[in-house]
Amino acid sequence: MSGRPAASERAAPTGVRRWWRRPGPLCAFPVSLFLLAGFAGPLVIVLAYSFMPPRTFSLRQAPTLENFASVISDSYYLSFFWSLFLATTAVLILFLVCYPIAYGMAKLFGRWANLVTALVALPLLISENIRLFGWVLVLLKNGILDGTLQQLFGVSVSGLLYTVPAIVLGLVYVYLPFMLFPLVIGISMVPESLKEAAADLGASRFEIFREVELPLSMPGIMIGGILSFILALGSLAESKILGGQTVIMIADDIESAFTFAQNWPKGSVLSVLLIALSGLIVVMLFRNIDLDRIIGRR
Amino acid sequence: MYRNSLNRRNFLQQTGLWAAAAAAGGLPTLANAAREKELNIYCWEGYNSDDVLDPFRREFDAKVRAEGLTSDPDAVNRLRAGETAVWDLINVNNPWAREMMYPEGLIRPLPRERFEPMFENMMPAFHPPYPWAMDKSGEELLGMTQRFGPFNFVVNTDKISKATAEDEGFNVFLDSGMQGKYGVLTYDNWNIYHMCVTAGVHPFKAHTPEEIEAFTVACKQIFNGAKILTDDLVQMNLALINGEIDAYFTGGTYTASSARYDGATQVRGITPKSGPMDGKGGIVWIELTSVVNNPEVSPLAEEFLAYIQRPDISKLVAFAEGTYNPVSQMGDPAVMGQFDADELDAIQWDSLEEEMANSADYDINPDYAEMYEIYSAAKREREA
Repeated sequence: MSGRPAASERAAPTGVRRWWRRPGPLCAFPVSLFLLAGFAGPLVIVLAYSFMPPRTFSLRQAPTLENFASVISDSYYLSFFWSLFLATTAVLILFLVCYPIAYGMAKLFGRWANLVTALVALPLLISENIRLFGWVLVLLKNGILDGTLQQLFGVSVSGLLYTVPAIVLGLVYVYLPFMLFPLVIGISMVPESLKEAAADLGASRFEIFREVELPLSMPGIMIGGILSFILALGSLAESKILGGQTVIMIADDIESAFTFAQNWPKGSVLSVLLIALSGLIVVMLFRNIDLDRIIGRR
Repeated sequence: MYRNSLNRRNFLQQTGLWAAAAAAGGLPTLANAAREKELNIYCWEGYNSDDVLDPFRREFDAKVRAEGLTSDPDAVNRLRAGETAVWDLINVNNPWAREMMYPEGLIRPLPRERFEPMFENMMPAFHPPYPWAMDKSGEELLGMTQRFGPFNFVVNTDKISKATAEDEGFNVFLDSGMQGKYGVLTYDNWNIYHMCVTAGVHPFKAHTPEEIEAFTVACKQIFNGAKILTDDLVQMNLALINGEIDAYFTGGTYTASSARYDGATQVRGITPKSGPMDGKGGIVWIELTSVVNNPEVSPLAEEFLAYIQRPDISKLVAFAEGTYNPVSQMGDPAVMGQFDADELDAIQWDSLEEEMANSADYDINPDYAEMYEIYSAAKREREA
C-alpha cells in the first residue's frame, strides 16, 4: 500500500499497533478480557475435554475422537430428539398462548399492562424447582386437581403427572415470560397507521393480521422463539420433576456424564454437540431478522 | 508532620505496590491468619444445619460456612476441579476416601492418637482400626464415621408386607403384578449396585460377560416397569403415600425416615434377607468426614471432627432436618439416651441390627464404567 492517508484517517490512529490509543477498544479492553476469561474460557475447556480419553480428569492426554464415536454410536440421539421435540412443542404452544396476551399488553390494556407485566414477572423471583413442585401437588394422584374433581364431580384425573404432556406444561409455564416480553416489544413496533391504511384499502381483520401485524412483529416473535427454544432445549428440571424422567432430555445425560458416570470427556462431547446445535439454530434464524432495526439504529 | 498527599498518581502507585505484594505472597499470610476463625464444610445435608453449626460457631467464635452436596461423585469432582483450596472438611460415603480421594491427594490424614480412641465409644462394628476410616496400607486415619444406614429399597407396608419384601428381596420389582407400580430413585451409582443384586450378581467384584448380560437384562426390566424416575426422595415418598406407587427401587432408612417421623410409618426401608454378596442381599453406607488437603486448611477442621462426637451433637447430626439416620456413636449409652421411641422408630432401630447383619458394605464396583453405559442406555431407551 502506498500514498498519504486522508485527513480523516489521520485523525484517528489506525492499525493494531495503535489500538490502545483509540478510546473504543481501550474502554472495551477490560470487559473483553473478562468475557474472554469468564465466558469463552470455560467453553474452550469444555471443548478441550471433549477430545480427551474417556474418564480422564486431566487435559494433558493425547487427543482422541473416541468420545464422539461413542456418543454417535450410542442411543444419545433419543435424548437429542426428545429435547428438540419438547422444545419445539413448547415454543409453538408458547406462541399461541403469548400472542394474544402480548397483543393486549401492547395495544389494549393501557395502564393495566404494567400490572400484567408485574404478575408475569413475579414468579421469576421464586425458584424454578419450587414452582414446579407446586405443579406436582396440583397434578398428583389425590392431589389438588384430582382430589377436587373427585370431591365435586366424582371424576378422577390421576394420570396427569409423570407424562410427556406434564413436561410440556412445565416448559410452557416456566418459559412464558421469555416468549411474552419480546412479543410485546415486537407487536409494539407495528405502526397503527399501517393497519389503518390496510383497513382503508379494504383488508379484513384477518388479512391485516396476516399481511401487516404478523410480518412486522416477526422480530419479536423470532427473539421470543429463540430465547424460549434455547432455554427449553437445555432444560432439565421439568422432565425430572413433572415428567418423572418418562423421557430423558439431553441436559440430563450431560449432568449424569459429569457426575455419576465420572466421565467428563463424554459430558463435554454432549455439551459441545448441544452448544453446536443451539448455535446452528440461532445463526439460521438470526439470518432472517435485523437486530439493528429492532433496537432502532436504522 | 504527616501530610495526606494522596492523588490519582500515587493512588495508582500504591495500588500497584499492594498488587505486587499480593503476587509475591504477602496476602496469603494474612489470609492464613484469618482462617484461624473460619471453617468451610462440604457435606451431605445435616452437617450444614444451624442446629449443628450454631453451638460450634458460638463456642469457637468461628465463621462457619457449610454447603450441602447432592451426590458423592459430584462432590469429589469439585475437589478435583480445584475446590481443595475452598473446603476444610468433606463428608462423603465410605469408599471414596480410601479408594479415590486419598490416593488423588484430595484429603489429608488425621492424627491417630487424637481421633482413634473416639472409635472405641462407637457401636462394635466401628471399633478401631475401622477399615473404611483407614488408607489401604492401614497406617493412616482418613476420617471419622458417624451416620450410616442400610440402603436397598422402600415399600408401602400397607401394600407389600415387610416379611414378603424381605424374603423376595429385589425380585419384588420383577413381579409382573408390579409393572407401573413402582418408582426408581435415580441415585445412579446405587441403582447400578442394586440392579446387580437384582440380577443375582455381586456388585463389588469383577464381572464375567454372563454377569454383565444378566445385569443388562435386569436393568432394562427395572426401567421398563417403572412408573416414575426421580432423584427427589420427598417426591418419591409423596408418591408412595398417595398411592401413586407401592414401592421404590433404591432407598432405605435415609430416604424413608423423614416420612416415618411425620407419621407415615407404612413407609419402610427393606433389607433383603439373602442375596449374591456372600449370601447377603443388602448394602449399607457409612459416611466418613475427612479433612480436605487445603493448602491453608483451617485449624478448626479437626476441632469440628471432635465436636461432632459429643453425645448431644451426635443426636443433632442424626436428627438434623432433611433425613434422619442412625449414628455410629449410638454405641455410647450417653448418645442412645438422647433418642425417644418415635425417633428410634423413624430410623427403624427395631430391625437395624438384623438389617446390618444382612448387608454388605458399600464399595467400589470394578466394572462401574461399563455398567454405567448399559444403565444410562437402558434409562434413555425406556419403554415409557
